[in-house]
Amino acid sequence: MFSNVEFFLVEALRSFRRGALMSFVAIGTITVSLVIFGMFLLLIVNLGNVIGTVSSKMDLAVYVDKDLSLEEAGALQVQLSKIAGVERVDFISRAEAWRDFQKEFSSKLDLSQILSENPLPHTFSLKIRTPELLPLVAKEVSRIPVISEVRYSGQLIAQIKSLVDAVRIGGVALVILISFATLLIVVNTVRFTVLARETDISIMKLVGATDTFVKWPFIIEGVLFGVIGGLLSALILKIAYEAVVLRVSSALPFFPVVSNKFMLTFIYLVMIIGGTLVGLLGAYISVSRVLKSEV
Amino acid sequence: MIELINVSKTYANGIDVLFNVNLNIGKEEFVFIVGPSGAGKTTLMKFMYRDEVPSSGKVIVDRIDVAQLDPSHVPYLRRNIGVVFQDYKLLPRRTVFENVAFALRVTGAPRSTIRRKVMQALELVGMLSRANAFPDELSGGEKQRACIARAIVNNPPILLADEPTGNLDPTTSWDIIQLLDKINRRNTTVLVATHNKNIVDDMKRRVIALENGRVVRDQLLGGYSV
Repeated sequence: MFSNVEFFLVEALRSFRRGALMSFVAIGTITVSLVIFGMFLLLIVNLGNVIGTVSSKMDLAVYVDKDLSLEEAGALQVQLSKIAGVERVDFISRAEAWRDFQKEFSSKLDLSQILSENPLPHTFSLKIRTPELLPLVAKEVSRIPVISEVRYSGQLIAQIKSLVDAVRIGGVALVILISFATLLIVVNTVRFTVLARETDISIMKLVGATDTFVKWPFIIEGVLFGVIGGLLSALILKIAYEAVVLRVSSALPFFPVVSNKFMLTFIYLVMIIGGTLVGLLGAYISVSRVLKSEV
Repeated sequence: MIELINVSKTYANGIDVLFNVNLNIGKEEFVFIVGPSGAGKTTLMKFMYRDEVPSSGKVIVDRIDVAQLDPSHVPYLRRNIGVVFQDYKLLPRRTVFENVAFALRVTGAPRSTIRRKVMQALELVGMLSRANAFPDELSGGEKQRACIARAIVNNPPILLADEPTGNLDPTTSWDIIQLLDKINRRNTTVLVATHNKNIVDDMKRRVIALENGRVVRDQLLGGYSV
């Protein structure tokens, strides 16, 4: 058996080199398809992340008049917490808010140059029991005279969520479609390498080679196409994505880009494994079809 | 060893090649199958190594009805039948050694066995010195010797040769037939399809003549024609 394995590997490499152009086409096709595939995966993951970030901010931001004193604010906090549907009220003083804001953005913007004094009012952050109660609570709160503004993003969140859901479903459908297209292309590309060796195959069969024996070198070749295509596409996507992340995070510092190493590694691995599977399956289908038409 | 019972063949396009052929070839016989081109010689041989299946009748090789054989068993049948072709069918990008070794590789034989058996086969056909040559570096006779070496390297009990001298000059043809005769004397059943009259007449072996898909003569110690 060992001598067989060695023989299959040698045969696969021999065929790989002999059909250099074909190998190049097959690897190129797999690489391009997988890059598109990976781009969609990244897009979906990022959209999910946006939604996650936005949803976690499902609370009511209540801004009060700038000249409200701390005592008045304390009384207001009690009043707010009595409104039906409100779970918790957090008070953020203007000084606190200003400090947080500066801390968050000082590396990106020099605030002291733009603003000489604290522009922020006191803020209450209201945790609402369920998202549906948001508009009701918001209405109630806005009736209180000292409140200058009530902000919540309930509707926006719902809209974004349905948009993301649509993109996600569309993305999954597209990913399936792309996988299928890749498979078809690989099947046909490997078919050419198989057909180019039809004489060899018929001679192999005449001297008593089993179908399995004939298939192995082609399958190994297909896996080789897939692995190389997978590695290349993962590398291309990694470089491209890192460049994009760098741009986005400097241009849109608020935008929550996925840069979780674990998640990204997972996506790259999915691409490499996907490429391998497509190569394997493509070669298998192709060589089986040629063998079937032979007999 | 080989028995054909009421074998007929009609191709899908409606052309009849063989009608009701009955044959019985014993162990270690040397048989010529003669007849004009298109008489059905090649088809007859293809039945035996299951490259074709008869439309009706039985083809029994070594007690097995080959026509009924499950496709998954065909490779094992072929390992017991050496086949020599008019066009040699050598793999062009492999040396003589690799071509002959190929027939053993497919059986999964260990490397050391392969080496030993290939050398023996090449020695038998007189090609040991050409082991590392590629097919395009060989003369027609040498190619046919390489093809014969590949056919016998597994020590099959049956050797089929379809027009083995079809592309060779008379002297080389004679050498090849002598080689087949030598293999026959090593206890191998040999069938040679040919329309080389001189060789058949000189060898004085059993002759089966086909004409228009029928056996018209089956004669021991026969000649090419009556």
